[in-house]
Amino acid sequence: MQKYNELGFKAGLEIHQQLDTPKLFSGAPSFLRNDEPHYLIERKLHAVAGESGTVDSAVAYEAHLGKQFFYEGYRDTTSLVELDEEPAHSINEEALNTALTVALLLNCEIYPVTQVMRKTVIDGSNTSGFQRTVLIAHDGKIQTSFGDVRVATVCLEEDSARVISRDKNKVVYRLDRLGIPLVEIATYPDLHNPEQVKECALKIGEILRACKVKRGLGTIRQDVNVSIKGHDRVEIKGFQDPKMMIKTIDIEIDRQIDNIKKKKTTGDVRNAKEDGTSEFLRPMPGADRMYPETDLSLLRIGRQRIDHLKKHLPKLKTDIRDELRKKGVSEDLIELVLDESEVLDEFHTFLDIYPIDANLIAKMVTLWRNEFATKKKKTFYQIKEILSESVLAEVLRELADENIVSSDVKPILIKVLDGSSVKDALKVEKIDDNEIEKEIRSIIKEKPGMRANAYMGMLMAKHKGKLDAKKAMELINKVLS
Amino acid sequence: MVDIKFNFGDKVKLRLAHEEVEGIALESYDNDVILIKLKSGYNIGIPKENILDFHVIEEFKANKRTEKITFGKSKDKQSIGMVITGGTIAAKLDSRTGGVSWLTDTQEFVKFYPKVFEKVNVKKISVPFMVASENMTSEHWITIAEHVKEMLNDPEIKGVIVTHGTDTLHYTSSALSFFLRDLKKPVVLTFSQRSIDRASSDAELNLECAVEMSLSNCAEVVLVGHATQNDDFCYAYRGTKVRKMHSSRRDAFKAINCEPIAKVFPNKIEFLSKYNARSDGLTKVDSSFSDKVALVYYYPGQDPSILDYYLVQGYRGIVIVATGFGHVATGDDEHSWIPHIKRLIKQGVAICFAPQTFYGRLNPKVYSPGRELEKLGVIYLEDLLPETALVKLGWVLGHKNWRSLVREKMIDNVCGEFNELLTE
Repeated sequence: MQKYNELGFKAGLEIHQQLDTPKLFSGAPSFLRNDEPHYLIERKLHAVAGESGTVDSAVAYEAHLGKQFFYEGYRDTTSLVELDEEPAHSINEEALNTALTVALLLNCEIYPVTQVMRKTVIDGSNTSGFQRTVLIAHDGKIQTSFGDVRVATVCLEEDSARVISRDKNKVVYRLDRLGIPLVEIATYPDLHNPEQVKECALKIGEILRACKVKRGLGTIRQDVNVSIKGHDRVEIKGFQDPKMMIKTIDIEIDRQIDNIKKKKTTGDVRNAKEDGTSEFLRPMPGADRMYPETDLSLLRIGRQRIDHLKKHLPKLKTDIRDELRKKGVSEDLIELVLDESEVLDEFHTFLDIYPIDANLIAKMVTLWRNEFATKKKKTFYQIKEILSESVLAEVLRELADENIVSSDVKPILIKVLDGSSVKDALKVEKIDDNEIEKEIRSIIKEKPGMRANAYMGMLMAKHKGKLDAKKAMELINKVLS
Repeated sequence: MVDIKFNFGDKVKLRLAHEEVEGIALESYDNDVILIKLKSGYNIGIPKENILDFHVIEEFKANKRTEKITFGKSKDKQSIGMVITGGTIAAKLDSRTGGVSWLTDTQEFVKFYPKVFEKVNVKKISVPFMVASENMTSEHWITIAEHVKEMLNDPEIKGVIVTHGTDTLHYTSSALSFFLRDLKKPVVLTFSQRSIDRASSDAELNLECAVEMSLSNCAEVVLVGHATQNDDFCYAYRGTKVRKMHSSRRDAFKAINCEPIAKVFPNKIEFLSKYNARSDGLTKVDSSFSDKVALVYYYPGQDPSILDYYLVQGYRGIVIVATGFGHVATGDDEHSWIPHIKRLIKQGVAICFAPQTFYGRLNPKVYSPGRELEKLGVIYLEDLLPETALVKLGWVLGHKNWRSLVREKMIDNVCGEFNELLTE
């Protein structure tokens, strides 16, 4: 780490994560398609003078390319907004709330009033020639083992169209990705070594995954801004995996050291390659790329909305893990529960119904269904269809009302699997306490002078485990005393 | 509350409870908020009530780069004239105020549309007014016609382009079609649906094609704009047979009841239907116009006494946008339009019917109510668009010497507003 200090290493992260909500300014469905597009639109983009009347260097660079752009669309999922044929609709509420939730989890200050901006992009990846983006929060904080990293800004923006094919004068884009909400998180250059960059990226990743975000390849894009003393900032884009960050950054540091020797220290935008090297993508964009989205009024986020979101912040996995440990759930089960967000949701729902035994619930939503699947030669999903959330909830409510005991749960579920209605399955043979007491007395009479545990064994054997052990023990103790 | 005084564009510093904000103050339409452009380029709003301290740290200085852009005139290029009247095509974002404003002078027009000025000599540019098209009146149509005529009668000018807002462009194109008599050169109206500050603006192709059309052999009033959603070519539509059929798409305008006149590319034209050819001679303006005309859109159950209101207000002609083949309620009850139409016609009000369907032709003969209405003296305007019908009626009624000829004039095919051979 000493080495990085001496080099004057500074880095900041910029993370783009797709949200799992409808499109940001059209409400159109936001999923990628691989079926044959229904139509193709041809467009051209023109260089436009920026707000101050000057053409910005990055924009001018791309204007030189003078390409023909084609856009593939679908009649049922591509709206006129994506086609640049209709003004933006007002911002998607679900996406806004999700982005605000991310900002709150990053300990950011939310702007009460803000404005949707148009960021000039003329590589054709936006049919309009700009990307809509809105600054929603600032000055947050992420804890890492090397110290706090300040979050500079959180923005909510539209994703671009994806490239299908590209040649010299012609680019074909598909409009399915255009307009999918992206939350953009930018940190200050507070990262002092590659290890910290990776840790911080993972931490942000964990926060994002606690929110309503898309999963899978391409749904998160991570850029790192890197510089050492004597070299301009370089932006490395396109990390899919934080694991590659350390290697890539180390290679970039060597490149910058080499550049300093050659006195070529201008920053640029580079693309991270799989082997850890990076390639030139374009010059650094200048300022002057933004102007207001005149088709929308100011975005008022409002105190009430922020307060509501604060009250309903999702929990991070590390926090949930600690919590589950405290509730006595075993480590193996914790991992199984945390493995899938759906399972975790179910777990929480059930725990609300029956908070007494977290382990039982963890088993219900993980191990048991798998076990049943193997036993009944069905798929996990077939089991899940029969033992649905509502079925499990109903059984647990009976348990909470003490109409059944916890040892009844599994046999009841098996009965349901075997075709019994939930109502019938819940009719457990109830053996009257008095009956059991009578039995206990006769056992003790037969074989007197033994310990309580021994009587318990005999009693349970007789009832083939169908008795509530706790209750039985109580009764034995009562008789013995 | 803190005294907050600044001019748009000033660099300001605000102190809030937990932080300080520095940036450029912009115009905000919301009185309770100050809009600030941060260094990053993002704009944020600060509720005035949150401001504890406010001061201007640097006053706005107007950028005085008034470099004169010359049109690049050359003898090799042909000359055209241009009339700029407002609309999205002549509006830009004002970086200082954050609002949208008109291009203030022709210099700006040159800056935004350099390609036009590279391709032709824009010998004359006039800006008679800058008005959003929904605010136009017949006075504006007349003024445009006068400006266009002046340019057309300059022998060097091959044709004239009129830029205009889209909302009522088809009214203006109709008006010019009727007003400009003995037209010998192309008059090309064009527009944009996407603002010109965005790289995707449709203005570029529309203007390039408008230039091409203005140099063509077609001596008619035409509207030129995107043919489809693609940026490849435009259509030239006859000024009287075109209508805005979409609120936002590039190809908002459609030819109704005819083919477009031509397919126009930035560098060539393919004619699709007949047109009047360019010739020599002077063009006149005949813009007598009566504003005492109205459009009444008929709907089921409508109270016909609305017609009596127009009579009382001194209206001299009404275009009723009628259903189907040209019908309104004619039953025996109080909803019947017969007695009202009868009364108005008797009082000398011209009652014309135009099709609510836009597509297709009216025909009073098919059903008996139509025959009855025709007998009363209703003028059935065949396949004429309602908006064109209104403009034509105002023009016809504006001529005192045509008082006894209203019917004849209304059904006379003055400038291709009727299509006798519908093929679709």
